[in-house]
Amino acid sequence: MTTTATRTAATAASAQGSGEIRLVNVTKQFGNSYAVRDINLTIPHGSYCCLLGPSGCGKTTILRMIAGHETPTSGEVWIGDQMVVGKPPVERGTAMMFQSYALFPHLTILDNVAFYLKMRGVGKEERRSRAEDMLRRVQLHHLRDRMPAQLSGGQQQRVALARSLITNPKVLLLDEPLSALDEFLRLRMRGELKSLQNELGITFVHVTHTQPEAIALADMVVVMDTGRIDQADTANMIFDKPKTPYVARFMGGQNVLTGTATKGQGGRLQLRMADGSVIEGSSGALADGTNVSVAVRRDRIDLARGDAVPAGSVNAVAGKVSATEYQGSYVKVTIDIGDGDEFVANVSDSAYFLDPVDVGHAVVATWKPEAVHVLSKVDTGKAGDPYQNNGH
Amino acid sequence: MSASPSYGPRPWTFYVLALLFTLFVVFLYGPMIAVLILSFQGPSASLVFPLRDPSLMWFDELFNPRRVGDVAGAFNRSLPLALIVMVVTVLISVTAGFAFRRRFRGSSAIFYMAIASLIVPGLVLSIGILVTFRYLGLSASWYTSAFGAHLSWSLPFGLLIMFAVLGRLNPSYEEAAYDLGASKWQTVKDVVVPIVFPGMIAVALFGFTLSYDEFPRSWLTVGTKNTLPLEIWTMTTNVTSPALYALGTVTTVISFIVIAIALGSIVLIQRKRSRGK
Repeated sequence: MTTTATRTAATAASAQGSGEIRLVNVTKQFGNSYAVRDINLTIPHGSYCCLLGPSGCGKTTILRMIAGHETPTSGEVWIGDQMVVGKPPVERGTAMMFQSYALFPHLTILDNVAFYLKMRGVGKEERRSRAEDMLRRVQLHHLRDRMPAQLSGGQQQRVALARSLITNPKVLLLDEPLSALDEFLRLRMRGELKSLQNELGITFVHVTHTQPEAIALADMVVVMDTGRIDQADTANMIFDKPKTPYVARFMGGQNVLTGTATKGQGGRLQLRMADGSVIEGSSGALADGTNVSVAVRRDRIDLARGDAVPAGSVNAVAGKVSATEYQGSYVKVTIDIGDGDEFVANVSDSAYFLDPVDVGHAVVATWKPEAVHVLSKVDTGKAGDPYQNNGH
Repeated sequence: MSASPSYGPRPWTFYVLALLFTLFVVFLYGPMIAVLILSFQGPSASLVFPLRDPSLMWFDELFNPRRVGDVAGAFNRSLPLALIVMVVTVLISVTAGFAFRRRFRGSSAIFYMAIASLIVPGLVLSIGILVTFRYLGLSASWYTSAFGAHLSWSLPFGLLIMFAVLGRLNPSYEEAAYDLGASKWQTVKDVVVPIVFPGMIAVALFGFTLSYDEFPRSWLTVGTKNTLPLEIWTMTTNVTSPALYALGTVTTVISFIVIAIALGSIVLIQRKRSRGK
């Protein structure tokens, strides 16, 4: 009697309200330092959101505040139409998967998965059968009587997933879920997470420091710098149209160049760089004398042999090749363009092997005006930005 | 020139350490074995080797005292005392261990005060307790003053063990339990205690053996009736028969049984965890 009542109550609770997450002016202070500061973020219901950033950027703190394992110093956290600050995870409708999985070592796989039901006072027979159903879903039913220590990393992760999902959450929170796995398993579990999210239709929030992981999984990528959000957008926008020099560098795949706007022709952007060379965009002229940074994708660069930029040409830099790295479908060519500045061209393997350049060769890199993307902030220099030479 | 590869001779340190270890084993088990053998001495009542006409007569003498002291009575005090000390040590060490996980104001001061009793000489403590009891007009007995004196010795050990055990406990177990809707009490009962249970057995073992063996802290605090170690000491001064050895054998066997039960249960728990049902 009571068990059925609990069950229906639980189903009703998860059915009401959506898994939309809203953070409003959220700040978290530890002592005198800010883990995150004045964050505003809305994660739509049913989306796969990745919080991406280097360690110490506050991404895990945000996850833990959504989960209820950390209380914001100020600000509000909303899930659906509920202000959840101060509420325990079960009332929030969230479930968290821990980085170490935190499977209880003294309980069998089945009892681990049934733990939530046991805490709610669900009878032994019912909780066992429901846990077995959940284990079947993650294809681990045959291991139900094993102990966590006997399982491989990938299996442990699936048990942790099953244990979280049995709470019927509106929001699943994943703290670096793939970091403990080897490369092969990581790619496989990545695919499984994505299809699971599609199937369940609930909100996933996934913390990672790996750019390809975020791009491959997320409907929405939130790139974080120390304690603040630099850009929250679709994976495609984050990669192709980064907002700031930080995002451009952190995501890799971009060259960041800085110059001063000069009078362009026909409403086109025109920049003069410190060395006198000129960058031209396809549109978006800026007021004369404005300092501005632009990003040019590494795979939109053409390379040719040559000692210097031909006089009068635009969108070109010259330098010596400092490194080449074969990546299979393309070759990453790093060019030293003077003053220790690096410029990277990802050349397709077919183009590269027509005339392979090697370390020390003089080359000229060129790109089309359409490839120039204006950033909203001026590059404040390499100092203090550990990701400026991030090679991806 | 031999076909099999040579990994070189053993270093000289190997032989030094092997010799040291052999000496250690001889000094530890040699006397124990000598006492064990001589406890079966025959009616010649000789206290030294050789063993003549082996018999169980000195064990009989022990349990049917005619000349020996009150061994059975001493045992009937030492065993309950050790058991109570064990239970109280576990209760206090475990709860204090949890308290110390959250750094509270003055926690390190309290910790050092508790640990300090490890370096206070037992005999001095014993005198101090006796003097204090006299001053307060209380009479010393094994279940009051000696009980307190034993706790002052077993608690620091229990605390240190629990600190080590809880220090290794990953806080995400408790967070996971909270995430899955467990109350604080459920988290302790269903997650934390089962995980740290082997550590609690270790604390219990220490609590029992430290009390059961204790001499200096018992010396002046047991009052008029002796505990077992005191009784043995008294016997060495006035009993000159192999009954002394028989007593040594019996107490050693009891200690071994206690240790075997404790270690056996730890092994059982861990085997269950690594093999499943």
